[in-house]
Formats: sequence, structure tokens, C-alpha cells
Amino acid sequence: MNEPDDTTLMEQCINGNRQAFETLLVRYEKPVYNAAYRMLHSRDDARDVTQTVFLKVYENLDHYDPKYRFFSWIYRIALNESINVLKKTNRMEPLDTDAVSQTRGPEQQATSEQLSEGVQMALMAINSDYRAIVILKHFLGCSYSEISEILDVPEKTVKSRLYTARQLLREQLERNGTH
Amino acid sequence: MAIDEKYLELINADIDGDIRPEEKAELEAFLAENAEGRALSEGFQSLCSTLDAEDLLEPPTHLKHVVMNSLPKTASRTKTPGNLLSIFSIPALRYAAVFATGVITTFVVVDSGQLQQGAFNDVTGLVGTMSEYGDAAPGVASLRFNKAAIAGTVTLRRADPILIIDFDVSTNGPIDIVASYEDKTVWFNGFAQLESTGTSISADGNHIRIQVDGKRRYAVYLHNSGSRNLSIKLQFFANGEPVHQAMLEYEQP
Repeated sequence: MNEPDDTTLMEQCINGNRQAFETLLVRYEKPVYNAAYRMLHSRDDARDVTQTVFLKVYENLDHYDPKYRFFSWIYRIALNESINVLKKTNRMEPLDTDAVSQTRGPEQQATSEQLSEGVQMALMAINSDYRAIVILKHFLGCSYSEISEILDVPEKTVKSRLYTARQLLREQLERNGTH
Repeated sequence: MAIDEKYLELINADIDGDIRPEEKAELEAFLAENAEGRALSEGFQSLCSTLDAEDLLEPPTHLKHVVMNSLPKTASRTKTPGNLLSIFSIPALRYAAVFATGVITTFVVVDSGQLQQGAFNDVTGLVGTMSEYGDAAPGVASLRFNKAAIAGTVTLRRADPILIIDFDVSTNGPIDIVASYEDKTVWFNGFAQLESTGTSISADGNHIRIQVDGKRRYAVYLHNSGSRNLSIKLQFFANGEPVHQAMLEYEQP
């Protein structure tokens, strides 16, 4: 049997159906957690953000605007909450990855784990606006139009930011010898 | 030589599959004649393949449970949570709230005389004053567990002469937690909790039993006047059957 879509589940949630909320939680727990982790590079912070995101969704069911898709609403909350954590912990400035780049030369072959860590370090080294767009595109698989809806910016801006973000990531990965 | 912005856009659009046939033809013609453009295109493609191949992390298995147990009883349309509830819903404030809320809700003070006079049960009705330890009580040992019946963390904190066993757990149903230790000079000295409902605690000699159901935050206070080394055995039971066991070790600094 097909599971109900997000809109149906949201309607059920608004009518007080906690089971429907749990279904949404199961559906979006992983992408929300991963979005937060990629923004913050901390599993503990990602766990707390995920918890906060779902509480906020539940507490603001009445404020959900059905003209937007549910995932764009919850992803936006997840990114905003992550940015709040960055601000609270004074981590808004991109990370200086020079220390990382000195530990491994470009001639060294990166293992899969090193590559993954290198990607994350490179992500942390770029501005959070660019990081968010890379996360939405490459980790959550959103289209240009979906990213545009989530971030509330024109598609043209999405493309422009994404291209710049990729260029910055390439430079970072080359600097730390991961790519 | 810098590559024309237009071709940068086309390279990216091509990678994302967002390119029209005539644009694709134009890009291919450009790349056929431009080595720098080809290198750039290959670099972007490699980067995007790397990003797309990154695995998603699995969230902690108890997270869903924690979220469901943290939800207000009713959604916002029927009742807006009070300020206190809103504050406690912020995870970062929860630990700090434990001690303050303990004063508001339930706090049990037991002096050594009571314990020495014998066992007592269901001490949740006892209310007393509470020392403010706050975040000045550093964690000295911590356990993290993730079982089907119970998940969460137990942290041992030190605020001489008090040891605080800080439970932050979430369960699938009623779970009995038994904390026991050998040292007779260490006394059960109090108890605080974040929520005021569903609490059951008893202390008998060097055994403390707490019944937990749902998401709970408890602090159990032990008086350890000599700051002696202490091994605390934690046992978790569901329907009388053991589901987990662990040791918390305190070593004097």
C-alpha cells in the first residue's frame, strides 16, 4: 500500500494525528539530520538541530502554508536552525583549512574516508550561504526550482551561487590535496 | 586565460542536466577547441561525482523516539505551549534547566540518618531545598547506550562532596533503573527531575531504583564526603527482565 503524501500527512497532523507526524518524522529525519550535520560538522549539534526542527514543525503546524511543499518548509527550518547554531557558537566565519592542507600533500592518494573528511572540511571553509546550496543540491538532491523555493531566492541566483560554490569547493579541495 | 562566464554556466548546466540541445552543441564546440575549458569541465564533473557519492549519515536510532516523546501533548492549534515549555524544548538549555526545575517540581533531600534507619520507598512526595550546582558540576564519566527498550546517556558529575548521576534517557515503555554501589560511606542524598509526572524512586541501602517511562531527565545525588573512588553499577530492566547493564566509574582527581 502506498504511503500517504506529505500534504495528506500534514492535514492529518493538523487534525491532531500524532501517528501522521511520526510518519513525516521517519521520512525526513535522515535528510534533516544530514543537512544539519553538513552545515555544522558536528553529530551532536546535528542531533539537537533535528530535534528542534521537528518540535518547531509540530508547534507551528497552523502556520504551514500549503502553497509550499512540506520538504521545502522543513529544509528551510533546518538550515535556519543550523545557521542559528553557527551564530550562537561564533562559527559563522568559514573555517581556516590551512592546517588541514599542511597535513597532506596533493601527491598523496586520499582514501575514501579521507576524501569524505576532505569534502566536509572544504564545505566548512566556504560561506554558509554557499554551503547550504551545495547541501541542498548534492546531498538532498533538490532541483534548482526546489532550492529556489527553499531559500526563497530566484532560480538564477540559485544557479549563480551553486556555480560559485563549486568553484570555491574545487579550490579548497585542491588546497588540502583531497581532489 | 579566463573562461567566458557563459561557458562556465553551460558547463555547470550540462553537469546538472539542465541544458538545451543547442546550448549543448555550443558547449561541445567550445570544449573541442579549448583545453582549459575541458580541464575545467572535467574538474567540475569530478567534484560533483564526489559530492553525489557521499553517503548520508544515519541519525542516532533513538532520535525519533526522543522527538516523539518531546512533543507537546497537543499541537499548536489547540494550545500554545507556555514559555517554560518552549524554553525546555531547546535542547541546549535542558541540562541547565534540570537543576532549576528540580526546585520547582520535585526534589528529595534525604539525610544520612534517614538512610541509616532503614529502607524507604517512593520518596517522590518529599520536598526540600536544593543546592545550586548548575554547570559547575563537570562530567567525570559518561555512558551512551542505544538499546531497543532504552536509549540515551548517563553522565556522572562531580560537585564535591556530591556526585550527580545525570540520566537523560528515552524508553519504549516502563523501565526500572537500578543504581548500586558497594561503598557504605556514600549516601543517597537527593533527587531532581525535569518533569514532575510519572516518577517513582526508591532507595534501599546502596541500591537506588528509578522507574522511567518515556523521555526523562533525572539527577540522582550521592554524598561522597571523602571524594572516594566509586564504582556504580547500572542495571536496566523491562518487565523485570534485564535489558542492559553498565558501570560508571568515579576516580578521585
